[in-house]
Amino acid sequence: MSKRFEAYPYVWRLPLLIWQGLFFVGPLILMVAMSFWLVRNYRMEPDFVLKNWDRMLGRDYFWNAYWVTLWRATLAGVLASLIAFPASYALAFRVSETTRRWAIFFLIVPFFTSYLVRVYAWQVLLAESGPINAVLGFGGLGPFTMLNSGFGAMVGYMTLVLPLVVILQTFSLAAIDRNLIEAAWNLGASPRETLFQVILPAARIGLILGATFAFILSFGDFVSPFYLGGSKPPTLSILIIDTTKSGQQWPRAAVVAIMMIATLFVAAFAAVGAAYGRRK
Amino acid sequence: MTDSDPLVRFSGVRKTYGTFEAVKHLDLDIGRGEFVAIMGPSGCGKTTTLRMLAGLEEPTAGEITIDGRVMNEVSAHDRDTPLVWQSLALFPFLNVKENVEFGLRMRGVPKADRHGRAMLWLERLGLKGFETRRIDQLSGGQRQRVALARSLVTEPRMLLLDEPLSALDAHLVIRMQGVLTRLQKELGITFVYVTHSQSEAFAMADRVVIMGHGEIAQIGRPQEIFRAPRNRFVAEFVGRNNILPGDKPGHELVVAADRMQVSASDPGEGALAAEFLSEEFAGTGIICYFEGPEGVELKAQVTEDQLDDLSPEPGQRFWLNWAPGAAHVMAGI
Amino acid sequence: MRPSDIAFRLYLVALFTFVFLPILTSMVFSLNSDRFPTVPLGEVTTHWYETAFSRPEVWTAFGNSLIVAVCAAALSTTLGFVTAYTDFRYGFRFKPAYLALALLPPTIPLVIMGLAMLAWLGRLGISGTLPGIIVAHTVMGAPFAMAICRLRLSQMDPALEAAAWNLGASQWRAMRAVVIPFCLPALISAYCLTAAVSFDEFIVAWFVSGLNKTVPVMILEILQGNVDPQINAIGTVVFLTSMALVIIAQLLILRKTNA
Repeated sequence: MSKRFEAYPYVWRLPLLIWQGLFFVGPLILMVAMSFWLVRNYRMEPDFVLKNWDRMLGRDYFWNAYWVTLWRATLAGVLASLIAFPASYALAFRVSETTRRWAIFFLIVPFFTSYLVRVYAWQVLLAESGPINAVLGFGGLGPFTMLNSGFGAMVGYMTLVLPLVVILQTFSLAAIDRNLIEAAWNLGASPRETLFQVILPAARIGLILGATFAFILSFGDFVSPFYLGGSKPPTLSILIIDTTKSGQQWPRAAVVAIMMIATLFVAAFAAVGAAYGRRK
Repeated sequence: MTDSDPLVRFSGVRKTYGTFEAVKHLDLDIGRGEFVAIMGPSGCGKTTTLRMLAGLEEPTAGEITIDGRVMNEVSAHDRDTPLVWQSLALFPFLNVKENVEFGLRMRGVPKADRHGRAMLWLERLGLKGFETRRIDQLSGGQRQRVALARSLVTEPRMLLLDEPLSALDAHLVIRMQGVLTRLQKELGITFVYVTHSQSEAFAMADRVVIMGHGEIAQIGRPQEIFRAPRNRFVAEFVGRNNILPGDKPGHELVVAADRMQVSASDPGEGALAAEFLSEEFAGTGIICYFEGPEGVELKAQVTEDQLDDLSPEPGQRFWLNWAPGAAHVMAGI
Repeated sequence: MRPSDIAFRLYLVALFTFVFLPILTSMVFSLNSDRFPTVPLGEVTTHWYETAFSRPEVWTAFGNSLIVAVCAAALSTTLGFVTAYTDFRYGFRFKPAYLALALLPPTIPLVIMGLAMLAWLGRLGISGTLPGIIVAHTVMGAPFAMAICRLRLSQMDPALEAAAWNLGASQWRAMRAVVIPFCLPALISAYCLTAAVSFDEFIVAWFVSGLNKTVPVMILEILQGNVDPQINAIGTVVFLTSMALVIIAQLLILRKTNA
């Protein structure tokens, strides 16, 4: 069969190459090229200058945005992992198989609700005169300013990433061999020792994966920092949108985008290294 | 082309995957109406051989002819070599009758004709009344018969079977062996049966081909292979054989376990002294294991009464001997 | 029940409350008369639905979203299926690169996808058109469709396709008679899920949509103005539409695992 040319395998192989080449790799390459272009009279002209890089990387507002984004995304990754863990632990070890399956199903549901609408709901809920402050007011607390702050943005990030982190953690915890845990108990390990010496190392990949996804999603998100975080200071995504939508300065936005992708690559590689690397 | 010409001829067939030689060199004729079993341990090339015959793999070198026609360039779907798969590979989204009709549908047989022929085969294999069942509603044995019906409905001259009974319970295996041998005799077509099970091959086949490491180790009738293995590989694979050093250098003796006699005292005549290790019930008798001279493992089949008489204890010393005609000499390995 | 079990259960309830609070409140607020809702709630009203859906541009946006979702889902599912089949059936050099190309798009932040798409589609002259949004959503949906189809194919006995060839079907015929029927439930659920993804996606769509807004893009633009409970009304309808698609998909996945 292999001696003659056969069209069959290529009919299945080529569509992806063509489509993703045309509409995924193409746009990304153009974006990289664009970062070296010039804008004259509100029009981009192909060129090869480092002006845009110079302009962006030489400015404090870029670096402020960069560090804020990096810090918040890291915090979101850590926070989401810590908040999710007790829930994942309970779902993996303390509830029935049926409950777990339903819990997972309900954690998938939010992916199909509009993130925007959920953020809008938080905007109303967290408002100075909103329901949460009203409830707290009955107890004589507050009112608290929760919107337009780092706290508001973090609530938004958690809305975005918590379900996914819980799902990933639960799967990795549930996959641990029960005998391993029982063996630890049997050998006289305390619950604390069992957790740190057995469960966490065994679930390492899922835990790191969860934190990484939380980081990546928060790093790229623009809705929460904009609508709940008050966009001051701006994050990198807000910077991209501002630069693109207001000033036609696409090349500069491209510089920000490339810096973001580079950061995500480093983070992803570090995570993969930490997850699959040799144990010490 | 006469009836005495073989139906299938492999000449100098070789199949490699990268640097791995699945089949090194294969010359084999398969006759019309013959039931041939190809047997060997896993990885010996038996399934590759079958797949090449069905056109699912292309030989790297050599030629396969069916009815005198060179098949190398003929694709799988243009061959008339239906296969019964190890996993059965029944289509789960089709019902029993649709599964059986599949081959006819692919060959463009009109609907009414398809129906008639499928029903005929379902009836023949005792599946009447199951036409509209889904595959997952059938028992293992019923699925087996659906797979057979699906392959035979196109009335091929040859049926290929790839370990079709390996998933069945032991008692069903015996029954299906009966069904297969009867079917083969009635239809008078060629069966090429690949298996790693000696009992299946010896029970059904007219001729057994033993393969090892991509080559044919021996071809013969079951009896020949059992009593006169050509080399150590065959003797060990067939099992229940004692392999002993022969009189001349390079010669080895093979004595089947059921021809080994065990005595509690030395009968003389070159009997081997051996220490009893353990016994194993094996359906037809009891296999006793001994450690003979220089640590060689020896097996002897005894009856229950004999075992009671001997009442061996582990470590106890016995003597093993055999009638002069019972030993087969393997020379020049 | 151990005391710690009760603590764990309470924790789970708290976590799920956090996750579902915004979803439920937006539904409740959509039926609440107050423009700035607080506790205690105002009266029950369908006012926001009436105002929202009396605006012709809302209907246009729903129409646009529907066209985009239907087309992008069809393209994503096709692309996802052919890719999953290639991965299932063939090994070849550069296959890791091929798979990376197939699965990478979801890792690129949406804002960046939006920017890159805007520039690229502008060069191709389809920026600001529905086909432009369809193209972008297909790139984003195909990896999900591929994952679903691949999962289904991994449940398929590889001998099934070979059995069809063995029974006289050409490769094309076997694809039609065996592989596609086997994957049908996965194809339908991939279609529903990618349609739901497209129906909800707003960032890339916002970048490339121009005047042809989809529903979430319109929500985004309303949101940039003032607090407006119409968002809750529109959001609830979008949610129910997406959930309907997801539940259909889920039922098909359940049915396929039983079959």
